[in-house]
Amino acid sequence: MTSVHPLPVPGRELANPPTDGISNLRFSNHSDNLLVSSWDKSVRLYDASANILRGEFMHGGPVLDCCFHDDSSGFSASADNKVRRIMFSHGKEDVLGRHDAPVRCIEYSYAAGQVITGSWDKTLKCWDPRGASGQERTLVGTYQQPERVYSLSLVGNRVVVATAGRHVNVYDLRNMSQPEQKRESSLKYQTRCVRCYPNGTGYALSSVEGRVAMEFFDLLEASQAKKYAFKCHRKSEAGRDIVYPVNAIAFHPVYGTFATGGCDGFVNVWDGNNKKRLYQYSKYPTSIAALSFSRDGRLLAVASSYTFEEGDMLHEPDAIFVRSVNEIEVKPKPKVYPNPPA
Amino acid sequence: MSTPQSDPLLQAETTCGTLLYELQIIWDEVGETDADRDEMLLELERECLEVYRRKVDQANRCRAQLRQTIADSEAELAAICSAMGERPVHIRQSDQNAGSLKEELSTILPQLEEMKKRKIERRNQIVEVLQQIQIITNEIHESAKSICSETVADDSDLSLRKLEELLRQLNELQKEKNDRLKQVEDHLSMLNSLCLVMGMDFKLTVTEVRPSLSDSEGFRSVSSRTIEQLATLIKKLQEVKIQRMQRLQDLATTMLELWNLMDTPIEEQQMFQTVTRNIAASEHEITEPNTLSVDFIKYVEAEVSRLEELKCSKMKELVLKKRLELDEICRKTHLVVSQSVIEDAIEAIESGGVDAANILDQIELQIAKVKEEAFSRKEILERVEKWLMACDEECWLEEYIGWDENRYNAGKGAHLTLKRAEKARSLVNKLPESVNAVLKFYHINPGIVEALVSKTMAWEKETEVEFLYDGIRLLSMLEEYTILRHEKEQERRRLRDQKKLQGQLIAEQEALYGSRPSPAKAQSAKKGPRHSTGGASSRRVSLGGAMLPAYKLDSLHSTKATPQTLNKKTERMFQNHFNHRHDDAIPAFSALRRGLDIADIPVRKHSSGVINANGLESPLVREPFSPISSTVSSKANITNMVEDEGETVQKKLPVKDLLCNTPSKIVSLVDNENRTPKAMSMTAITPVSTVPVPMQMAMTPAALIPFSNTTTTTATKAVQEIHQEIEQSFEERRFAFVISETQVT
Repeated sequence: MTSVHPLPVPGRELANPPTDGISNLRFSNHSDNLLVSSWDKSVRLYDASANILRGEFMHGGPVLDCCFHDDSSGFSASADNKVRRIMFSHGKEDVLGRHDAPVRCIEYSYAAGQVITGSWDKTLKCWDPRGASGQERTLVGTYQQPERVYSLSLVGNRVVVATAGRHVNVYDLRNMSQPEQKRESSLKYQTRCVRCYPNGTGYALSSVEGRVAMEFFDLLEASQAKKYAFKCHRKSEAGRDIVYPVNAIAFHPVYGTFATGGCDGFVNVWDGNNKKRLYQYSKYPTSIAALSFSRDGRLLAVASSYTFEEGDMLHEPDAIFVRSVNEIEVKPKPKVYPNPPA
Repeated sequence: MSTPQSDPLLQAETTCGTLLYELQIIWDEVGETDADRDEMLLELERECLEVYRRKVDQANRCRAQLRQTIADSEAELAAICSAMGERPVHIRQSDQNAGSLKEELSTILPQLEEMKKRKIERRNQIVEVLQQIQIITNEIHESAKSICSETVADDSDLSLRKLEELLRQLNELQKEKNDRLKQVEDHLSMLNSLCLVMGMDFKLTVTEVRPSLSDSEGFRSVSSRTIEQLATLIKKLQEVKIQRMQRLQDLATTMLELWNLMDTPIEEQQMFQTVTRNIAASEHEITEPNTLSVDFIKYVEAEVSRLEELKCSKMKELVLKKRLELDEICRKTHLVVSQSVIEDAIEAIESGGVDAANILDQIELQIAKVKEEAFSRKEILERVEKWLMACDEECWLEEYIGWDENRYNAGKGAHLTLKRAEKARSLVNKLPESVNAVLKFYHINPGIVEALVSKTMAWEKETEVEFLYDGIRLLSMLEEYTILRHEKEQERRRLRDQKKLQGQLIAEQEALYGSRPSPAKAQSAKKGPRHSTGGASSRRVSLGGAMLPAYKLDSLHSTKATPQTLNKKTERMFQNHFNHRHDDAIPAFSALRRGLDIADIPVRKHSSGVINANGLESPLVREPFSPISSTVSSKANITNMVEDEGETVQKKLPVKDLLCNTPSKIVSLVDNENRTPKAMSMTAITPVSTVPVPMQMAMTPAALIPFSNTTTTTATKAVQEIHQEIEQSFEERRFAFVISETQVT
């Protein structure tokens, strides 16, 4: 789209941002509404295009993750161990159920009609939000994980669970009794984020040590030969690398390219197929805590929020930037240079 | 009298004519007158007519008789047929009767004979059946009515139906008889078993009812009276049996009690196993011969009375034993029962004034009462135990920590006792263990105490008795504890405030002079990393080392193969440690200090012990440059700064730098992980670039295996182990921090 003009600034900053660290943000699948969870115990709903705070929901503890159900409701994962459903229109919320420890991540599967949560209590739980309120009615199943769950991603009926100890479990939602695949992260440091490719063939996994691995579900040798890892979010100065954690990965819904955000405050856009970096946006004030493309891929929400990587300290204020995405920034380019053999 | 029609008539005619001629001749001779002659002829004619009339009459009579006979026969046949319930074989149809009467009769007669024979046969059958019926009926009702043929000889109904009916009746009667026989047999066998169990003579018993019954082969009476009598007898015997059984069971109970009381040896008990075994048996379960015989019961009675005597002689001993039991229960349930009653009782026994059995009963009653009370106290007691245990742990923790939180916070996972501390903390506090950083709350969760108080109050209200624990009222114990704890809390707060003040003083000092006194324990540990009091100008505090402990070990173990690229944060942490040391020793040489982090190998060589010690001792991970470096930009990573200034540092300390950090080495090490030493690992990242830049990636998946260098494999293992043990994500650290914040404020 030619109308999009490159901004010197990192994008439009949303008014009324959360007052503490942003744990996640997500665009709706139906509109430009943006759901934001934060350490200030709130879940906020913004209209990103109109820059309006549509609603705010306070929980009993820091909110570690949130996701949309439809445009009228969403779900949140909180450090007070509870999984909640939030009704935007009524401003109501109810508790879907609880874990034994803070709930780290949450996803809604349109395929299964279930909410999937991962917690530091080393379990994955599936919930049926249609059931009346109350754990005994909504809980579909509890699935033990080898370690605390750190990140979760869905595509189709696949669920990828990344936990502490660099475990990665791949489940099929239709048969959750045991993992379809049990893997170990290809990266040798703690997993920060895992996101499935939109085409459902694999997932990208980032670690605290400036590196992203591109993996494939198919266990055939031909498919596995395609997997690779690359370094990013590093700074090279005076012959030395400074390595930053890669906090966020977001796939572009149209082109399948993806953006990564690190503690260095940069957002990079990558073409995974051609193994190219497509774009690097100008530096944000502080660490990139979360990223999300809007449903048509024309907007990119960037949470610039200190992620506590160096403990408690003064830091730039938490902010949400919504930037228009120029096609050139995300569209895969024909190969310019001879590529390394894939 | 005219023309002869047949020979005899002709002959008769002839004879008559001849005779008449002869008569005419005679008359002529005689000369009779015509009148006489006419008269004589008239007479002759009259006499002839007379003879004819007589013959006709006779024939007529004969015909009537024949007809009568036929009719009679037919009637008889019809009667028999109807009696037999059969259709008459022959029905005469008069109009079709072609034959003469005699023919008719000759056809009827054999039929009649046949029917008569059949009738007799049928009648005999019926009579026979009736006789049998009568016999069985007599047997059942014990009457002696003989069968009278008259009654049977009712010929009106000899139909097959009647016979079948009678046969059915007979069948029924036979069945009934069989049933009765079986019943009698049952009764007899039951009687037999009863007699056996109770040691009675079966034959004798049965003969009383009916002598024939005792004969196993002989005729069995099946009359109602016999059955009734047998049933009564059985009932009577069963009553006796139950009576005896109860008696025996009473005896057995007593016996068991006595055994229990006196610890009777097993061998002695063995002899009465048959008795005690049946203690809870019901009537029908006791089948063993002689178990309920009079003799046996007498035998058991004798044993019981022997035991009773024995018990009396041992009464004092028993009372003492029971008392011990009572004491034990009281001790377990922390109840206090006044001992005086029992003491008195024992004295009374000794003096022989009181019936010992009474005393024993009293004590047993008391035991029962105490047991009941203990049951109602159980729930609260369990809570009390928990609380007391938690109190112990709390005491231990307090001792261990010595009110100095530094010690507790310092050596995470380093000290063995820490495990114990962690356990104690979780017991005391019931907080999720994953929150490692929340080690500070070592106080008993007030919920435990509150719940206990409310439970106890409810109990007291319900029972209207004070809840005593070893004689002390539990509520007062809890109150005392709460007060004590409150005092401790205040003391702790006071200490903390003091520390805070001290910390501020140090910070001020630091800001003023660029150095600070030994940080050992003067400064509040948890404040150190949290808001970096001294680092007014620095906005970042290095926690990287603690967060990524693997790096730390990297640098500890592998000097050569360590990917230096990972070590920025770690190094910063080491800088801190080194700084601690050097702060004390050479506070002025800040520049030199900075250099040390680059020259890490030599430093490690001589200070590895210090590193360990630091790891245990202090969480005072302080940013080294913060106090003085005004040039550090607030956003810049400290390491950047180091690198910015690296050149000058290197110039200042060329020798140390050379020892380890030749640039070429770093390059190769950086790529060790990817095994692509020639890759452009140092590719410059140009900000805001629209030109696609190749990713820095591994060529093959295998290249992702870390530390494949043989010289460092052991180090890798160590790294991974430690890594798993204390791995935490930023969010977990943050959550722990949030928790601790809310706790402090």
